[in-house]
Amino acid sequence: MTDSFKNILAPIDGSICSEKSLERASKFVDAFGSNLILIYVVEKSIPINLLDRKEYLEILRKFGTNVLEKANKKLSKKGIAAKIFLKEGNIVNEIEKTMKKEKCDLIVVGNKGLGSVSRLILGSVSNKISQSSSCSVLIVK
Amino acid sequence: MQVITVVFKIQIHSNHYMAIKTKKILVPLDGSKNSIRGLDMAIHIARQSQGTVVALAIKTVPGIYAIHPFGFLDFNSMTEIKKLLSEAKVRAAKRGIDLTGKAIAGDPGYDIARFTNNPKNKIDMVVIGARGRSSAKEIFLGSVSNYVLHKSKKPVLIVK
Repeated sequence: MTDSFKNILAPIDGSICSEKSLERASKFVDAFGSNLILIYVVEKSIPINLLDRKEYLEILRKFGTNVLEKANKKLSKKGIAAKIFLKEGNIVNEIEKTMKKEKCDLIVVGNKGLGSVSRLILGSVSNKISQSSSCSVLIVK
Repeated sequence: MQVITVVFKIQIHSNHYMAIKTKKILVPLDGSKNSIRGLDMAIHIARQSQGTVVALAIKTVPGIYAIHPFGFLDFNSMTEIKKLLSEAKVRAAKRGIDLTGKAIAGDPGYDIARFTNNPKNKIDMVVIGARGRSSAKEIFLGSVSNYVLHKSKKPVLIVK
């Protein structure tokens, strides 16, 4: 049933907008008593030099774990326990995969992150998610 | 008497502290199944956060009619919209939620976005169905919901 949110998925990337969306998600968790799942996706589709690639991915992974830890600390202060995922691959695909795996009812995303701009106001990732996801999407502004 | 007032004040304070920001939720309605699902979702959220729901029904008017002052006076379709709003009111009242209806004539996407961005209306969140009645311009998301998503400055919840 779409009426109750059991699992809420919050993709984060360390930007200000993602922090806002996290706050909003935690409010939803408070109100509905649902489980929160955090995800950071390391983008692998960037065409970079083969030599730099490994190092670059290592840096991104470190950054990702940092962001997730920070978010988790913030949430635990509010008394919310969250599941944490660090994935690698295409951002939108991985988010959809975890959404299906964990049976999420709601995705909470910020309107613009660190990704490229596809339209003036909405970021490319949140745009794609809103177009193609099979569950409800909350876009925080 | 004084003691009672003090207790009352404390209660109000604690209520204020507990409150979630989403006090006023906007639901655009067009009579399609998806929009009713959106309404249900809005009622559900309003129940959790003790908020109110504002239903917005828009009659599509071609641009030329909007210039003419008597262009809006198409009474038949206005009654259709009023009926839609009263149905929504009943649906919300069954679950104990206040619902205020609003009927506007104009372009759906533009007017919904303008209504949300107007600071006078104090909208905290928009709940919108993913597909409505308008023609399929994009495969998954409706054209109106897409427009609102891009133009509104408030959080948008897309119900699928």
